[in-house]
This record gives sequence, structure tokens and C-alpha cells, in this order.
Amino acid sequence: MKNRKWLGLFTLLMGILLLAACSYGADDSTQGAKGDGEPAAEGEPKKGGKVSIPIVADPTFNPWHPNAYAESNVVNRVLFSGLTQTGENLEPIPDLAEEWETSEDELEWTFHLRDDVLWHDGEQFTADDVAFTFNEIVLNEELGANNTSYFGQLKEVQVVDDYTVKFIMESPVAALPAYLSFNTEIIPEHIFAGQDPWDLTSFNKENPVGTGAFKLKSYTSGQNVVLERNEDFYGDIALLDEVEYKVLADANTHVAQLLSGELSIFALDDLSAIDRIEGAENVTVEARETPRFFWIIANQEVEKYQDVRVRQAILHSIDRQNIIDTVLKGYGTIADAGIAPALKDYYTDDVTRYDYDPERAKELLAEAGWEDTDGDGVVDKDGEPFTIDFEIGLQGDLEAISQMVQQYLVKTGFDVNLNAMEWNSMIQEVVVNRDYEMSLNWWRYPADPDLSAYMHSRSVAGNNIPAYQNPELDKLLDAGAQTSDVEERKEIYVDAQKLMAEELPYIFLWYPQEAQVRATNLKGVPNLAFGDALHHIHKWYIEE
Amino acid sequence: MLRFLMNRLGQSIILLLIVTIITFFLINLAPGGPSSTMRMDATAEERQAMVEKLGLDEPVMVRYIEWIGNAFQGDLGTSFNSGEPVTQRILERLPYTIELTIFTILISVILGIFLGVLSAIKRGKAQDHVINFFSVVGLSVPAFWLGLMLILLFSINLGWLPSSGVGSRGEEFSLWGYVSHLILPVLILTTTVLPNIVRFTRSSMLEVISQNYIRTARAKGAKESIVLYVHALRNALIPIITIIGMLIPRLLSGAVITEAIFGWTGIGTLIIEAARGRDYPLVMGVTVVITIVVVVCNLLVDLLYSRVDPRVKNV
Amino acid sequence: MEVSTKPILTEDLDVKPSQGKTSVLKALRNNKVAYGSFWFLVVIHAVVFLGPLFWTTDPDTLQDAGSLASWSLQHPFGTDDLSRDVFARMLHGGRVTLIVGLAAMLFSLLIGTVVGACAGFFGKVVESILMRITEAMMAIPTFFFILVALTVLGTSPAMVILVIALAGWMEIARVVYGETLKWKEYEFVEAANASGATPFRILTKYIIPQIVPSIIVSGTLTIAAAILTESAISYLGLGIQAPTATWGNMLQNSQQYIWTAPVLGVLPGVAITIVVLAYNFLGDGLRDALDPKFVKK
Repeated sequence: MKNRKWLGLFTLLMGILLLAACSYGADDSTQGAKGDGEPAAEGEPKKGGKVSIPIVADPTFNPWHPNAYAESNVVNRVLFSGLTQTGENLEPIPDLAEEWETSEDELEWTFHLRDDVLWHDGEQFTADDVAFTFNEIVLNEELGANNTSYFGQLKEVQVVDDYTVKFIMESPVAALPAYLSFNTEIIPEHIFAGQDPWDLTSFNKENPVGTGAFKLKSYTSGQNVVLERNEDFYGDIALLDEVEYKVLADANTHVAQLLSGELSIFALDDLSAIDRIEGAENVTVEARETPRFFWIIANQEVEKYQDVRVRQAILHSIDRQNIIDTVLKGYGTIADAGIAPALKDYYTDDVTRYDYDPERAKELLAEAGWEDTDGDGVVDKDGEPFTIDFEIGLQGDLEAISQMVQQYLVKTGFDVNLNAMEWNSMIQEVVVNRDYEMSLNWWRYPADPDLSAYMHSRSVAGNNIPAYQNPELDKLLDAGAQTSDVEERKEIYVDAQKLMAEELPYIFLWYPQEAQVRATNLKGVPNLAFGDALHHIHKWYIEE
Repeated sequence: MLRFLMNRLGQSIILLLIVTIITFFLINLAPGGPSSTMRMDATAEERQAMVEKLGLDEPVMVRYIEWIGNAFQGDLGTSFNSGEPVTQRILERLPYTIELTIFTILISVILGIFLGVLSAIKRGKAQDHVINFFSVVGLSVPAFWLGLMLILLFSINLGWLPSSGVGSRGEEFSLWGYVSHLILPVLILTTTVLPNIVRFTRSSMLEVISQNYIRTARAKGAKESIVLYVHALRNALIPIITIIGMLIPRLLSGAVITEAIFGWTGIGTLIIEAARGRDYPLVMGVTVVITIVVVVCNLLVDLLYSRVDPRVKNV
Repeated sequence: MEVSTKPILTEDLDVKPSQGKTSVLKALRNNKVAYGSFWFLVVIHAVVFLGPLFWTTDPDTLQDAGSLASWSLQHPFGTDDLSRDVFARMLHGGRVTLIVGLAAMLFSLLIGTVVGACAGFFGKVVESILMRITEAMMAIPTFFFILVALTVLGTSPAMVILVIALAGWMEIARVVYGETLKWKEYEFVEAANASGATPFRILTKYIIPQIVPSIIVSGTLTIAAAILTESAISYLGLGIQAPTATWGNMLQNSQQYIWTAPVLGVLPGVAITIVVLAYNFLGDGLRDALDPKFVKK
């Protein structure tokens, strides 16, 4: 008797929980056609309103601070300005610099600056600020500022007059204007001079002074950052009254607040909830191309991965389209080289393709001497089975992707030990110690096809983590870096992509697209990845 | 009394020392220091610059002595990741955790004593079984799972309550905005301590009820409710105060998970951030502050205990 | 309330060494809920440990049914986000979860028993040091340390077990301590002492066997707590990592699907809850059966 009552209670409880879980989804049917990015047939841009953007942690208001991660970048891009910014075709366009030219030998770049720019505290912006930012912060090795790797070839910045600066290079870098649009905002000399730029919390954490279209209104740690319109902005005065960044660590919360209208726009990293979002009336989802590529790296210091056939076999083993569909929900394009379709001028898909073909993979392995001689399902050579230590960091969808990759590789006959570890431990093992066999991750790079930083043999101590070295590829990458002529560069980078696809310095996976989600009534956002669209935030407006 | 206090103070300082030593060496001997939290594309030089800037190239022992010396002067150092003083970062976050825990304690104690007494009075009857059953269920459900299910029900399906955040701080105050953000976190945190209080109250009451003087009071014809609430409960309260003291650590542990589920920006989310970001001074600071909070709470409980229980007074 | 709270067990005074176990089981039989829980746990363990012999689908292999397929004969619980068989993952994940719970419990039990028995038996300085440490450990919110330790030291299964065990032995130590104090006063222990037996022999031969019932109770409740802790650290991404399935990391993984496939989280959540519930009922039942104060009339 007593037991039955307990059982009843228990069933009731579980029932409620199940109901909570299952009753979900009933409201989907009421959703009409989804707003699939209706073209710019929109009303007149109107002043007023605010947007809310999620960030996952407290930001640091200093673009060069070693702790300024993604959450800081999206704020700093609006508070500060760089010499250039990203245009609608991902080409560098004027920002603080009105125009620029390069000398014959491409070793001297002259930037002509605007003379009508005021810092948020009313001080005049001049060439000294630019020189200070680069000479004292970027080129000061003791500071270890962010993103300095793009300026490895920069010797110094010279002040020509109040509104002209010269960038003196060690060797030609055609991508310089593109690099100058990528998290390289100028900071004020009149505040930082003589200070430790990282310890100056009164600026970095409390009261930043920038030149951007918005200035800081309030900041509550752990809660939000509110920016207000900068009425003295040198460009078109912003339409929005305020931009709010909400500190929300959890991705589910981002989705919940987007659906309830509390958040306006962001790039959706975790696509698990995309079906629900695409079904919502007040939210628009758009796929945006970004200069990113996902990769697997096989350590070239380890002998068995030096054989290109092994790398090719790995790529043939993986059903990349299925992973794109399953994990990325379709937001991605298969990659066989590193230059993303976002870079329209340079991208080509006319390269060696690696379809999902486990049989071909086995053939390639056999050619390389790896065959399953003992019938245990694992290929071997000289009595050694092919085991792979596969180390990944836990972040975003990397865990899901590598579990699928592992299964595909096992099917071909590799013995794969997947070791998923906390992000910092992965950095320590893979990036710092280079103590790994295989890993999976992605690169995001400035909008320029120069991938020297990732696969040139001179970058082996840097971001060329697989330690791939190929003189032929080096030559192409050098040639591309030394010419600013787009047509000439295009030819060079098409050749480079063909070579990358054949040789697989990285085992290329795909070019992910960004799933940009935004409130449907937010207009004026250019067709760019979210991070780049922030450069144009003064054009955004809210439609009634 | 004074001797008792001095004694406890001495013990507490030793406890603090042990806790800091263990934590300090644990985090500093672990592989992957702050320089590995930098961007993936940071260069070796950038990482080395970071290590030197933070003074991590010195031996651990030297750094600990330096740290503990400063700590005793009230200086917990500067957060690696934000550059702000650790004390400031903790003081920003601590009030949120205190708020969450105080509401939880209030509700759990009131509800817990009520249910516990009810359960004891109705021993063996249906009410007792129901209360007992749900106490065990409360102890058995993973708090975060219950949290997710409640978010699913109240935030996603019904849209009644916000799924996360601490409410409209920094904006105009609204009572509903304030309360609505508290409901789910307090509910979840309550499930982690309420069952303990209920069960303890019950057994404590049962023990008291079975004692002689209660029987005497009954025999003298005192009204049953007076017997229960005046005589029995008053005596049962004494051990209940201790259990509340013992539940403080449990409550704070539960707060970590609860804060993580509901994006509650208290000390729990701060320690997660600090550990993930290898922010050593912040990890140490939170550890010290949490230990002090617990020690102070226990001291208060002891004092309270000596107030209600005359026998402990002269210890 | 009397100052002395040591129970006077008049009818037990002439108790003989290890006579407890059978009476425990007998007493348990009277408590239907605890008895039911016991058999339920037996069944669950059998299913989880023997199930994979019959349900041979590999828990990690990608299935042709595609991701998030609904329930079918081939996949009784459907497939997960990566198109793996959920039923197989529940079985294999349950195995790992229960092993972690058991292993952590055994380790906690070892520490707790040694600390408690030594403190109780030797008294004086040993007692002071050991019990002060135990109290100190109980006074600090251990979850903070679990979190910091696993973040910096990594999350291998052994580490997870070790950390959970190190955070959960104090209650056992206190119980064993109390019991040791009580039993060492009994005649047969004093007699052994007088006959010159070594402390180790007295502890292992005479005292600990008497405490076994209490240890079983504590152990049962410790398993429940260990399973819960494992799931909590999994939620924070600090539990045993993929591709190894555990109920905890399945639950953690499901939370990103709360919008589109909330059912993924229900199964592991229910599984953890009922197993922990059963262990708690069993533990409570055993305790009631052992504690003369609560013997039902």
C-alpha cells in the first residue's frame, strides 16, 4: 500500500519532468515563412533606439592588452578606430587614414590621416598617437602585446607631419592595410605616455578614451557595458542612441534572450539551436563568409605523417559534408586549401579535391606501406600499428567534430586515441611544447590571402604548428607578400592554393560560415561577418 | 568565553594557512600557466614576456612567501587577467552570493523546521512519508539537471521567468525584475540544503519528544501544541543551529553550480573564471575569502549556540 | 537533554564479535522501500554491466540513422546529436558512472576508516591532529577545491575519482571515530588489549568488524554523493571527457540541445536521479535498521 503511494508520487514527478521536456516545440507550427534576409527594401534610416550584444566575459578596453580576447574585440572595435577598416568586399577602406601609398620597393608606406578627429575626451588625434601605438606598444617586445605577429616586418613608424605617418618595413608586406583593420586600433598617447599600458586600469577597465562612433557611458563588471553615441564623431554620426554589451557566459542564455528580444545581434557559435532560431518570427539568420578555415594538423616532426599519402588518406577517410551537416548544420563549405571564399578575389575551388572515399584512403595507405596484415582492423607497417594520439582543446564544437573524425579514421584502419583536454592544457601541450601527434582547430585571419604566418617555414617557431616546410610554398607565399597588385597576387595565390591542396601542409577541413542572428527590426547591417559589420555600426538603425 | 574565542581564532588561522598552502602549490605546480591562456596565435616571445611580467619565473616558494606576507597585510594582489585589485573584484561579486545564500537560508530554515516538526509529530503517517520521500528526492536530484528542467519549463515553454542573470541591476529598480531573477536560483540552492534541515529537525524533535520532561509536561496536561512548540522545539533548536553552521560549506559549494546555471555573477562564477583563466591571485583571493566566510559563520554559530544552550556558556 | 549522549545499549552489552551482518539484512527486509531499492540497484547494475554483452552496438560508432533520430527498434532510445546509439551510450555511460561512484566510495572509505579508527583508538595527539584535520576539511566548501584541482590538473578518470574521494571521506571518518570510541570500551577488546595484541591486530580483528555495518551505511550514502558530484563536475566540463560516455557528460552535452532536442537530457538525468535515490533509500534504510533509536515497533 505504502509502496504504491510512493511509486505514484515518483511517477508523477518524473511525468512532470518529462512533460516539461516534451511539451516543447508545439509552438513551432505557428511560425510563418522565415525572414530569409529580405533585401534592402527598408524604410528611411531613423535616429534612436539601442542594440544589445552578448559578450561572454568582462572586456578589457585596450585592443593591445594580452587579455583582450573576442569579448574585448567587439567592444574595442566600436570604441576605437584603426587606420583602416574592412569594407563590404573585405578590402581595406579608409578610417583614420584617408589614403595611403607605398614606395616603389614597397618598403615604405605613407598614410595620410584625417585632421578632424577628436578623442572622446576632446583632445585632437594626431600622427603622434599612431607612432606611439606602434613604436611604444606594438614594437616593444617586453610588453608582449596582442597581434604583434602581423607586424614582425615593421621596423618603425615615423611622424612626417601632424597628419602623415610612414611605416618603414624590413621587407615588403602587401597585406599591411588589411592588417591595420584587424584589432589594431590606435590608442591615445596623451593618456598612455609614460604609463604601463597593461596596468593602467583607470583606462583599460574604467574609462577608455577612443575615437570611435560610440563612447563609454557605463560599465558594471559582470553585468554590462553601455556605450552612447559620440556626437563629435568624425564620420557619419551614429543613428543608434546606445550600444549595450551584456556579459552572459552561457550560450543557451544568448539564444533565450535573442528569442525574447533582449539581444539584437551576434554570431551564433553553437548551432544546436539553429532550427529553433530559424523558426522564430522576430529573428533573421544570415550566413556570412568569414576568412577562417578548420584544420587537422599532423605533426611533421613525427615521421609517419611526413608522407603526403598518409595525410591524403586521412582526408579521404573523413565524410566532411556529413560533419558540416551534423555539427555545423550546413554552415560551411568543404575546404581543400586555406584561402576562404570570403576573399572573393583570391579564392579558387579548382584544386585537388578529396572526396569521402575510404577505399581510396586505404589504397593510399597501402602505397605508403600501411596495410592491415594481422587482420585486427588497424593498418600496420613493419609490425607497428598506426596509432594516432589526437589531442584537442575543449571549446565550442571542436569536441563534437573530433569525435566524428575519430570514428571516420577508425573505420579506415587508424587506431585513434582522442584526448579532449581543457583549453589551456591543450595550448600548453600542442602550441607551446609542440608535444602532440595530431590536433584539430581553426584559424581566423585578417582579410588578406597571405597565409605565411601559418605555413611558411619561417613561421615554424610561430603559428606554423604542424612545422610544415616546403621551399616551393615559401617562394609563392613570399611572392604574394611582396606585391600589392591584385591581379598579380591572384595568380600567385591560385598557384599557392593548388600546391596547398596537393601537399596538405594542413589537413584542410572546411571554411565555416558565420550564422549571424539578429533581430529582424535591426537594419543597416552590411553583408559582413558580425565582427566586421561592427566597423559600420554608425549605419545601423532600428526600424519601427 | 574569551579563551574559547582565542582558541577558535588560533585554529582558524592555522586552517587558513593550510588552505592557502595547498591551493597555492596546487595551482602553481600544475602544467600550463597563465601564458598558455593567451590566444592560440600568441608567439613564444609574447608568452615569455607574459611570464616575466607576472613574475612567474621566480621559484614557487619565494612567490608563496611574498604572497602570504602581502595577504597578512590585507593585500591580495592584482588579478592577472583584468589588472584590477583582487579584493575589488571579489567585493564586486561577493554581495550577489551573499544575497543568494541569505534568501536560501531563510527559506530553508523556516520551511525546514516547519516540515521537520510536522514530520516528527506525524511520525509514521502519510505526511511523514511524503516529507521524507521528497527530502530524499531533493538530496538525489542533480541540482543542475533540475535547474535545466525548470528553465525548460518556466523560461522556455511558459516564458514566465528569466533563464539567467541577476536582474535589472544598474537600471531602474523593479521589484518583479528583482524577484523573478531570484526565484529559480534560490529554489535550486534550497533543494541542496532544505532536505538536510528537514531530516535533522525531524530526528532532533523525535529525540526530544521521547525525553522525560516532555512526558512530564504532557502528563501534567499541558496543551499538546504548547508542549511541542514551546518545550520540544526550543530544545530541538539547539542542535538545529549546529547543523545550519555545518551546512554553510555545502551551501557555498552548491552556489558554484547554481551560479553557473543561472549566470548569477557571484563568487562561484568568479572562481570558475579564475581557474579557467589561470588567474592565480584571483584563485587564491577567492579561496581565502571563502574560507574566512566559513570560519566567521562557524564562529557565529558557536556564539549563538552558547547563547541558547546555557551549558556551553562557561567553556 | 543530558550532557552525556553516549547511548547505553544495555541489551547489547554482551555482544559478540561480528554478529551484525545477518541481522542487518533481516532488519532491512522490514523496510520495504530500502529493500526494494536494494533489488532495484542489483537490477540496474546487472543491466549496465551485462547489458553490453547483449546490446552489442558500439556506443561511439556513427549510425546510418543520422543524428537525433527518434526511437526505433534498431535504436530503442534513438540517436544523439552525432548519430550515435543512445541506448548503447546509456549502458556504457552507466558503467563508467557507477564505477566512478564505487571507486571513489572505496577510496573515501579507506581514508575515512583509517583516519577515524586511528583517531578513536589511539586518542591523545593522534586524535587531536586527525580529527582537527577532518573538521577543517568539513568546514571548507570542497567544491571550490574540486573545481580548481580538476581545472589545473586535468580530468583523467583516475584524477576525477581521486579528487571526488579526497573531498568525501570526512563523514565516514567521523562515524568510524565515534564507533571506535564506543567499541574499544567493550570487554572483549580490553581483554585482547590485556593479552598483548598489537594495535593493528586489535583494530582489524576486533574493532573494525564491529563497525562494518556502519561503514556499509556510510559507503552506500557516499556512493550516492560521489555519483552526484561526478555529474556536477561534468556539468562544468571538468568530468570524464568524450569520447568516453558517462551519464554526467551525456547530460552536460544535452544542454546545448535544450532548444531543439530536450529529450536528450531526460534519460541520463532520470538515470542519475533514480540510482542516487535508490542508494540514498538503501543507506537510510540500513541506518534505521542499525540504529536502535529508530527501530520500528
